[in-house]
Amino acid sequence: MRVAHAAVLLLALAAGCSRGQRDAQAPEPADVVAQSATPQSGTPQSATPQPAPAATPAPSARPAAPRPAREAAPPVAKKPVPAPALDLNALEAQLKETKAIGLFTKITLKNQVDDLLDKFREYYQGKSKVTMADLRRAYDLLMMKVLSLLQDEDQRLASAIVSSREAIWGLLADPIKFATFQG
Amino acid sequence: MNTVTVALARLLLVAAVFAMPSFAADDEEALKKDLTAVIALHGQPCGEVVAVKVLAQDDYAATCKDKNKYHVYLNAAGRVIVEKQK
Repeated sequence: MRVAHAAVLLLALAAGCSRGQRDAQAPEPADVVAQSATPQSGTPQSATPQPAPAATPAPSARPAAPRPAREAAPPVAKKPVPAPALDLNALEAQLKETKAIGLFTKITLKNQVDDLLDKFREYYQGKSKVTMADLRRAYDLLMMKVLSLLQDEDQRLASAIVSSREAIWGLLADPIKFATFQG
Repeated sequence: MNTVTVALARLLLVAAVFAMPSFAADDEEALKKDLTAVIALHGQPCGEVVAVKVLAQDDYAATCKDKNKYHVYLNAAGRVIVEKQK
C-alpha cells in the first residue's frame, strides 16, 4: 500500500502545478529526512561545573582532555541515517509547496512523468520495443532531473525523494503493482 | 508634529517606490530561472534565459544567453511546449 503511494509521488512531481485537486495538504512531515548529519557535538551539556579533573588545580602530567575528544570523534563521523519511514502524502505536499521549482518547470516534469508512465504502460501491454533496462535508464534520468532542480534549494525534499527512489521503482517495475496503481 | 508626519509620509513613499521594482525584479528573475529549467528539461541549448517577454498568460518569448530564442507556452492539452525561434 505504501508502495502504491510511492507512485503517486512521481505524479506528484507536478502536482504543485496541477489544479488543486488534492486539498488534503498533509501537515508538515515529522522530519522525513531532516535530521541533518551534523550532530552538534559541542552541545554544552550543561552549565554545571564540569568534572573535577579539569577543575583540579594539580597539573597532572597526563593530559586527560585528548582522550575524550578522540572518543567522541568516531560517533560524530557520518553515521548513515537509516532511511526514515516515508510519508508520501507529506512529500507530495512538499512538492506542491516547494519554491525550488517554478510552475512551468513543475508542469514540464509532470509531462515527462506522464510520458514515462505511458512507456511503462506500453511495455506491459507488449506494444513497445523498449526494454526494462531502457525504462530504468529513463526513470533514473528523470529522477536526476528532479534532484538537480531541488538539491540546491530544497535539500530536505531532495533527500526525501532520494530515499523513496527505490520504492517508486519497485512499484513501476512490478506489472501487478503498476496495474493496481494505474487502476 | 506636522513636520514629522510629513517626513514620515515622504519616507514611506520613497520606500514604496524603491520596493516596488525590487518585487518585480524578483518575479522576473524567478520566471527566467523557471524558463531556463524548462528549456533545459526539453534538451534545448540555452545556458541561461536573459530576457523574457510575456506574450500572454502562460506564453513567453525567452531569449537565452547564447542568443537562442524560444517560444515557451502551455498548450491546451496541458503540455509545456518549447519551440525554437529563428
